[in-house]
Amino acid sequence: METPLLAIDNLRTYFYSRAKRAFIRSVDGASLSVAPGETLGVVGESGSGKTVTALSAAGLVTAAPGVIGGRIALRSNGVARDLLEGLGRFVRVTEQDGRVVAVEKDERGWRRHSEAQMKGVRGKEIAMIFQNPRAALNPYSTVGSQLVETIRLHTAAKGEREAKERAIHWLERVRIDSPRLRFDNFPFGMSGGMCQRAMIAMALSAEPSLLIADEPTTGLDATIQSRIVELLGELKQETGIATLLISHDISVIQSLSDRVAVMYGGTVVETGRAAEVLARDAPARHPYTSALLASIPSAETIRNKSYLQAIEGEVLDTIEVPRGCRFYGRCNRVTEGVRERCAGLEPPLAEVAPGHKVRCWLYPAKPS
Amino acid sequence: MSKTILEVTDLRKHFSQYLGLFAKLSGETRVIPAVDGVSFYLRENETVGLVGESGCGKTTIGRTVLRLTDPSSGRIVFDGRDITAMSRAELRPLRREMQMIFQDLDAGLNPAMRVRDILREALTVYERPGDAEIASRIRELLEQVNLKESKLANFPSELSGGEKRRVGIARVLAVRPRLIVADEPTSALDISIQAQVVNLLRDLQKHLGLTYLFISHDLPVVELVSEKVAVMYLGRIVEMGLAENIAHRPRHPYTQILWSSLAEKQNIEVSRRVRNVTVERERRAWGVFDFEHPARGCRFAPRCPLYQQNGRPAVCTDPASEPPLRDVGKGHVVACHFA
Repeated sequence: METPLLAIDNLRTYFYSRAKRAFIRSVDGASLSVAPGETLGVVGESGSGKTVTALSAAGLVTAAPGVIGGRIALRSNGVARDLLEGLGRFVRVTEQDGRVVAVEKDERGWRRHSEAQMKGVRGKEIAMIFQNPRAALNPYSTVGSQLVETIRLHTAAKGEREAKERAIHWLERVRIDSPRLRFDNFPFGMSGGMCQRAMIAMALSAEPSLLIADEPTTGLDATIQSRIVELLGELKQETGIATLLISHDISVIQSLSDRVAVMYGGTVVETGRAAEVLARDAPARHPYTSALLASIPSAETIRNKSYLQAIEGEVLDTIEVPRGCRFYGRCNRVTEGVRERCAGLEPPLAEVAPGHKVRCWLYPAKPS
Repeated sequence: MSKTILEVTDLRKHFSQYLGLFAKLSGETRVIPAVDGVSFYLRENETVGLVGESGCGKTTIGRTVLRLTDPSSGRIVFDGRDITAMSRAELRPLRREMQMIFQDLDAGLNPAMRVRDILREALTVYERPGDAEIASRIRELLEQVNLKESKLANFPSELSGGEKRRVGIARVLAVRPRLIVADEPTSALDISIQAQVVNLLRDLQKHLGLTYLFISHDLPVVELVSEKVAVMYLGRIVEMGLAENIAHRPRHPYTQILWSSLAEKQNIEVSRRVRNVTVERERRAWGVFDFEHPARGCRFAPRCPLYQQNGRPAVCTDPASEPPLRDVGKGHVVACHFA
């Protein structure tokens, strides 16, 4: 495998909830990597930790979390750098029985250090597009001036006129009609799909090496969604940018990703090539992934007007994380042979086929 | 054949936009026709799906047929009674028979009340049952929506999305309605929970004989739950018919685009006829609704691939001939000159 551009290793991002006097383990030991030019799709339900993983990578976890641990290594100019490096000295974690019970931290120092680490990385190396484009754009300034700002800040085009030409070029590349006119539009004068295009233009105009797309199509209309997916696919071909694509919409992940990571309860439960993991008849698959795929109405279900196969129970509560497998309580494939282990011990992410890993006791690691 | 429970004829709902004081003084007005001449009916114990992009007037129809907003014109007949112009007092006894499930999970759930009290309140709006009866009715409701009894003591903020939806449904069922307008009942939920709720709604329909007006933009779900589907564009129904015909043999170019963009996303095999249309689809036509300057004639013409293919026929933009819904067999109606 190629040296990854972004390697997240055993990331833990916990938030302290004052109301509940407990740590919310939003991301709890997630590991994933993105190779240059590759699109990694992250699927999972809300609360599975996919967005917090992305925010952690972009250094955008705004409320200083109770804990942030692990490694987020980003390669730039051939050198990998851990974005979380040195943050540890601002935090003192007391663990008991393998669980975090108390955290003391120098919040200001932590924040200052984190900002210093992210300088020249966020926006330049890692760009992000968000779920709600209208909220992410500044309502008080025109789309054009926001683009020009990004371009002058992050690229060699420092001059006003030069930056404007580039901005118009980018608006054109994301297929916005009459870009010269749209340049002077405010976000409120544009439709949701158009705003999302402008966001994409803004993210790409800094020529980053990694694009994080967090639910880029959610909240848009069906017809517009498929256009945005089309556009992202085309831009990937044109620019060869590596993408971390987050979505709960499996069809979006399917059509854009090279590899997929399925997240549940703050950790990755399955990862592998998209075609392999999401194929209808994959030989080995995490029970959660199968259940997720089965709960989408298929042509056959619709034709027979039969019931949807729902996953019983609720999405995992990330405060009281069970000791065993996180999916154990909802899993319908527990057999007597593995029950004890499922309930008591978290399975490792084991390689079941080259490049395909599953976190489930049903699939023991193949000896390599 | 079961009887008609709701009949809507030429329903219109126009909102007027506030343009500022100056415009008001000079008498300038701008009217937004959110619903612009819609007719349909619902038979007892059936589900009609209402689909279309956001802003096309789906929710406004749902709210207007329940008289949550007053129609500008048209006729709404519920169970043989014309409710179009009924007063609030006259409507009140009818309200319990027609209920709405809102898109917003928190709508209708008072954050300061426990689940038990929310359900109790719903049970005592129209009746005065005794404590013992309330308790047994609450148990029955919990069973119907498949919710644990331990949740009764919780506040809405302590519930997950799926549980909130279940409480919302239980609250609606408490008054024993016959017609339920379900406005995007699953769109705020996770996929695994969506399936649970869809199954639940279908179960309830079977057991309680409910009638649904199912508003959603999730096309596969609509196709699954509905007997008939109406496709809306800019305040009008452009095509209506049996769910399977709308999904697999759509006639109106808009329906074809709607379903093919879904199929494209999900790699579903679509018929060649539909595919040809998508190939011809105009790039710039990924549209913005423009209520202020509606197209003359057919309102879909500016985005229509057929209009382009046929060399921009004049009839499509003739202000005098907005295409009417025309029967193409088996109750399938299409508003297009060429489909």
